[in-house]
Amino acid sequence: MQVLQSFRDIFHKRHNIAKTWKNQHKRPVIGWNSTYTPEEIIRSINALPIRILGSMESTTTQADAYLPRNACSFARSTLDLALKSDYAYLDGLVTSNSCDNFGKTYDLWRHYTKIPYFHFINTPHTNTPKSHQFFYDELTRFKESLEKTFNAQITNKTLQNTIRVYNENRTLLKKVYDLRKKDPPIITGTETLEIILSSMLTTKQKHNKLLKQLLKEIPNRPDPTKPAVRLLITGSIMDTTDLLQIVETVGGITVTDDLCTGTRYFWNPVSADKDPIKAISKRYLNKIPSPFMYDRQKERLNHIKQLIKDYKVEAVIQFLLKFCDTHMFDSPLLTEELKAEDIPVLNIEYEHTRSGIAPIKTRIEAFIEMVKGVP
Amino acid sequence: MTTRLQTLEGFYQNHIQPYYQNAHQAQQQGKPVAYVASTFPVEILQAMNITPIWPENYASVCAARQVSVRLAEIAERHDYSRDLCSYARATIGSILTKEKDILPEGGMPKPTFLVASTAACDTHLKWFQVLSHHLKRPLFLLDIPYNSSGADAENLPKHLIQHYISQLEELIPFLEKQTDTRLDKNKLRKAITLSNRTSNLWLEIQDYRKHIPTPMGARDAFSAVFFMLCIPATQTAIDFYEKLRDELKERTKNDIGKILNERYRLIWDNLPMWFNLKFFNYLNSLGAVTVAETFSHVWTGSLNPQKPLESLAKKYLPNFANCGIERRIDLILNLAKDFHANGIILPTNWGCRMMSIGETIVKEEIYKKLGVPSLILDVDSSDWRNYDETQVKRKVEGFIEILSRKD
Repeated sequence: MQVLQSFRDIFHKRHNIAKTWKNQHKRPVIGWNSTYTPEEIIRSINALPIRILGSMESTTTQADAYLPRNACSFARSTLDLALKSDYAYLDGLVTSNSCDNFGKTYDLWRHYTKIPYFHFINTPHTNTPKSHQFFYDELTRFKESLEKTFNAQITNKTLQNTIRVYNENRTLLKKVYDLRKKDPPIITGTETLEIILSSMLTTKQKHNKLLKQLLKEIPNRPDPTKPAVRLLITGSIMDTTDLLQIVETVGGITVTDDLCTGTRYFWNPVSADKDPIKAISKRYLNKIPSPFMYDRQKERLNHIKQLIKDYKVEAVIQFLLKFCDTHMFDSPLLTEELKAEDIPVLNIEYEHTRSGIAPIKTRIEAFIEMVKGVP
Repeated sequence: MTTRLQTLEGFYQNHIQPYYQNAHQAQQQGKPVAYVASTFPVEILQAMNITPIWPENYASVCAARQVSVRLAEIAERHDYSRDLCSYARATIGSILTKEKDILPEGGMPKPTFLVASTAACDTHLKWFQVLSHHLKRPLFLLDIPYNSSGADAENLPKHLIQHYISQLEELIPFLEKQTDTRLDKNKLRKAITLSNRTSNLWLEIQDYRKHIPTPMGARDAFSAVFFMLCIPATQTAIDFYEKLRDELKERTKNDIGKILNERYRLIWDNLPMWFNLKFFNYLNSLGAVTVAETFSHVWTGSLNPQKPLESLAKKYLPNFANCGIERRIDLILNLAKDFHANGIILPTNWGCRMMSIGETIVKEEIYKKLGVPSLILDVDSSDWRNYDETQVKRKVEGFIEILSRKD
């Protein structure tokens, strides 16, 4: 379908799209790399916020000179692209302490790339009233920093409008997820991931238009999906469709997820508030938590369990990026809790490179056979 | 030929063993015992007569006693990844193991509660959450902001200090509830005063190491830092450091060096391989001696008893794990200058992102500014499966070779 191809194109041609946008609008493109980054504020200076993604298309070469072997291969891949000037068009990079790998790799970005603007958003690991106050102040400082650097004014009205467009995107993405509740789901996991990733790489206005077209056309798609074992995928970031493609060629289909390139990205809307910065800061600190948040594993687990119920999930695959400490620490208890509910779980540790994928395929295939075999 | 400091003779039997014995005793008597993660302001606990137990210290004890890998393997059998912090794995293993007789000092006594802080890494948070889960004891987390600009104590942004204090204000009621006692302001001031005295003595001790030849190396420092790190607000710490200081004073007066022919003065970053402290003797055998460790300099900080909470913020916020790389560069740069170093050792630590990422910048910057070369070594603090001695020694010897050409 043409509209599915449009999402795919945004994902694959992301660098060109960003550069073209920048030339056309003469406005900054700002990279971000944590789902705790309040994109709404960046967008409100009429900049294009884009998520920093890696690539498995090429092996890392330059970053290996600066990152030790025990650093996250996703962080390595993004740094490698930056060192090869693939991200030279960025006018700024915004990061946060929501991950030690990125928090520290940020030093390398600052040191070895020529991006003109860097900003670090101090993100609390708790959501107590004091943390909320701190984060609110932090986002106010961020807003002021953007205004000053890019010579822009962010009014409450602009923020409210941006929030509206972003919330519409969230609502539309949820409708896409609803299509996956059907059996067989109307849309595959691979296709959905391309949609989510593309939403982070273009304006939400454009993305919303495409989503509306998709929702209209897809019920009559000429190539319906086939029944398969219904899976929930959990993990950190997934910036390539390779893994889901494997899942979907060996008899599985991803129907929902707990990923920061999935539900953790868009599930929660920004609520209405007279003070839009307050509304934004609340949304981000209270959203479906990533594992770096303190004492919220229960919440994460409940989210997963609810998804399992709503999407009639038969089994869970956890894709653990090697050296992602917070996810690795959560993994044993998460697995134990799911198994206690008789949900089959497969844990796969992997590196963000092409070479490691062959053995993964065999394991996923065996797992899906096993799930099918369960009477 | 190396000389040992008399004050450090029998350090383990004289200081570490009694510390764990006392902790077990306190726990048996129903007194409050808390597990604490480094960068946590332990002074507050000490002001409330809470016995602090440091899983990090215990992991290093397990490594020195050569059981850390066995314990890590137990954690790994419970699906804790082998790539996680080896301190975390060893202590998780020590709690999950059924073979209690393999645990040095009878294991860590079960705590009344746990406290951690995000001022070093996310691993602390997650690791302590896991400990808290398995021990079924509550955990309080100090949610500390990251000092991204790497500002030092004097230049810290105000909002960071304010938030730090606000976190302490939430901690105190938790501690009061757990121990059923009020925090006595006078006792806090006293703890701060003691800790400050300990810190000053420790810095005085470090100062003597600037002397050529240096009277003390890393092996002794990594033992002696125990007081600074674990129980700074005690008279025991002060007494010990006074004795150590006096010995160093005497040695420098008589020019008695750690080694006889001191040729290379090294800075050691981060942690040692606790399972192989003999490594420092090996360095000595090459004519090299460690004159300073970053680890000996991150826990110091001048505390003001009149402003206890603010000074704790200023002590712990700028620790370099919680900072942009500038802070670590500055620290090592200053140590290299002040201690007349001619080489830097930067050990990575397999399970530690905070220490491992960014070492190349440190290496480049120090060389650019001082012409002092650095050596990055792939090691691990307590998991010797991540340590290849042959390779490490080959690298060290190559490095010494480079230093010798600059002689």
